[in-house]
Amino acid sequence: MNAQQPKTAPAVNAPKELGKPFTADTQINRIRFSPDGKLLVAACFDGTVKRWDMSGKEPAEGPSITGHNGWVTSIAFSGEALFSVDSWGRLTASSVSAKESKLWSVENAHDGWARGVSKVAGSDVATCGKDGFVRLWNPKDGKKVAEFDVKSDVLSVCFAPDGKSLVAGDLFGIVREFEVPSWKVLRTFEAKELHRLDRIQDVGGVKNLMFSGDGKTLFVAGAEPKSGGFVQCIPLMIAFDRSGKRLSQFKGVNDNEGYITDLAWHPDGYVIGTTSGQPGQGKFFLWKPGEATAFFSGGKLPNCHSVALHPQGDKIAVSATNANSSGNGRVKGMGGEYPANNSPIQMWSLPKV
Amino acid sequence: MLCTPVEHRLSRRRFMGTAGGTALSLGGIVTPAFAEKLRKERRQVLFVWLDGGMSQLESWDPKPNTPFGGPFRPIQTTVPGIQISELMPQSAKLMKHLAIVRSVSTQDNSHSAGVDRINRGDPKNRGVVYPYFGSAVSKLVGNNDSGLPSYIWVKPMSGGFIYKDAGFLGPKFGALALGDGKPPENLLRPKELAPEDDDERNELRKLLDTSYAAQRRKEFTEANTHAFEMAAQLQKKIELFDLSKLPQKDQDRYGTHDLGRHMLLARRLLEEGVTFVKVTSYGWDTHGDHFNGAASLHPKFDRPFAAIIEDLRDRGMLDNVLVIACAEFGRTPRINGHIGRDHWPEAWSVCMAGRGIKGGVVAGKTNDRGTEVASDPVDIGGLFHTWYKALGIDPKETEFRNGGQPLPIAHEEMKPVKEVLA
Repeated sequence: MNAQQPKTAPAVNAPKELGKPFTADTQINRIRFSPDGKLLVAACFDGTVKRWDMSGKEPAEGPSITGHNGWVTSIAFSGEALFSVDSWGRLTASSVSAKESKLWSVENAHDGWARGVSKVAGSDVATCGKDGFVRLWNPKDGKKVAEFDVKSDVLSVCFAPDGKSLVAGDLFGIVREFEVPSWKVLRTFEAKELHRLDRIQDVGGVKNLMFSGDGKTLFVAGAEPKSGGFVQCIPLMIAFDRSGKRLSQFKGVNDNEGYITDLAWHPDGYVIGTTSGQPGQGKFFLWKPGEATAFFSGGKLPNCHSVALHPQGDKIAVSATNANSSGNGRVKGMGGEYPANNSPIQMWSLPKV
Repeated sequence: MLCTPVEHRLSRRRFMGTAGGTALSLGGIVTPAFAEKLRKERRQVLFVWLDGGMSQLESWDPKPNTPFGGPFRPIQTTVPGIQISELMPQSAKLMKHLAIVRSVSTQDNSHSAGVDRINRGDPKNRGVVYPYFGSAVSKLVGNNDSGLPSYIWVKPMSGGFIYKDAGFLGPKFGALALGDGKPPENLLRPKELAPEDDDERNELRKLLDTSYAAQRRKEFTEANTHAFEMAAQLQKKIELFDLSKLPQKDQDRYGTHDLGRHMLLARRLLEEGVTFVKVTSYGWDTHGDHFNGAASLHPKFDRPFAAIIEDLRDRGMLDNVLVIACAEFGRTPRINGHIGRDHWPEAWSVCMAGRGIKGGVVAGKTNDRGTEVASDPVDIGGLFHTWYKALGIDPKETEFRNGGQPLPIAHEEMKPVKEVLA
């Protein structure tokens, strides 16, 4: 089934903006709330992890966590510990509330681009990378526990809620479920329509993986690419049961909407997702698995790259890219300088569903 | 039509006509020593065109840990002090043969205008259409007595005779394009057609050509005949196109994708003496998901590019063949909302190697963020001067003649990048 997005979202189920957006002065890959909901942290293009205290009336930006190189690509919380990976291969554990934040760091957790990190209660820390490996790390000291060579660019990794298995999705639309810690491959989920070889470019892949709260459904998300280069693609998310059977899917309307860039599972039983979009497009959506349509699709900010669900379940933060982010040649900023783009973050209240 | 050093070169044909009875030749057969001399005198070009624009930041001019630097690491090349992107590991190993100009600054940020300007050298406007570099070299250097077309374009998709490249030089200096690296269609004599019948058919074709030509402009009818003859020349070398007979190791080194196969064919064509081989790869216009695109695309350029330089070196051909990797522009430092990089003619890089080029050199520089050229900018006219000089053609002493009108072969107010010239 295709979930066609309605032109006008029903007002009863529409999220509402909470205040005005606040802005990170760099682009953002991921945002997440701390488990107590007081902090919002962001994995950033400038190699920092930014953090805002969200407990007051206005977000208050605190000192960033530094020590990464390239981009910080992904983050995961476990209690007060925050695990972050970067595009040069470093994995770092930080205490987000402590003044001296770094707990431990592994410089070459991956050879180059570490793409994802996942952690659930009681589990090791899982990472995946462009080097083709999925690795497990001891959360206390960062020692490598085990690894599996997928021999493919692994874009995403996610623990099942019970921590007994782990899924990893690759560039070619293949998701492997591993038993932990035996590395026995329990099953594969095929979502090959998320990949396309366009001329000589491999496009797309499994950009995001997420389980439903009860662990019975696996969501495999990315897009159905139409071309490389400019990358025209229609957002696509496939819901599988744990046996590997397809249950339903969410598909965007047109190929300007881009990839599904991030997912969150709401305890009321729906998926919150963001889409990248061509410059000026991209949005967030709310979709109940099995239904024909998303019950909300919109949001004022373009090019959404991450969504964080507040632990209380009543609001979300959505990070995007500033308007007018693209342009050929020497675009000038207001002061005549060559401008960098940034990431506005907007808070939204969620409807009762 | 022009006065060039090519007129003073000893051609095989001239040699056979005038010195055929000397000790160098026995019974009309060229001695191995003389064949070697001819081979050494060849001047050839491999022009790799990455259509859409390869990012300088993910290739020749990385800016790690800066606002526009992107996710990738720089790596050390074999030349101390020179780093390039981690996406180009094979090229890094061959840096001592490469020269990078990091201060390229050109005029057009659109594909439609940029492709033409770069390929034609962007000379001053004199109301004529200048030839593409391939056509110009074809005219200035000739065909190296290879018995093959002097300007061959290996490209994805369709082929044909591309006369528009030739500009005012006239259609016969256009490119013979080999679509997907395959020989022109219907090139081979059908098995069911006897050789004598084929000869008869060709005689009839010539007769019809003469009749056709009498009613049309000479340059176009000449081009038709020329195109047919070029195709016929290739017919004699049909084995060139069968890459499957090459060692598996070669195919593995170059890659089995389009660009790898086409670069391997380019090597074969250069070995046969073709003067100018252009290899085009499409799909480099990465406005969206650029970094994953670069992670996929750049290694597919890097491997065959390094492989062909190694092979030319190992065959002693780097002294003859000027190798250029180029596009219509680079890509913006700014990363857009679709995580892409847009068009950027302001400050980008071109890489070259081989004949007339000093290896292990970086010329020019950009600022710390990659947003400005921080040395003398080099426009495409300056690169044309550089490339002609590398080929032993002095743009100050050589000119085209277009119906009596003298025309400089490169923008007369620009100059070569001396740091990269041997």
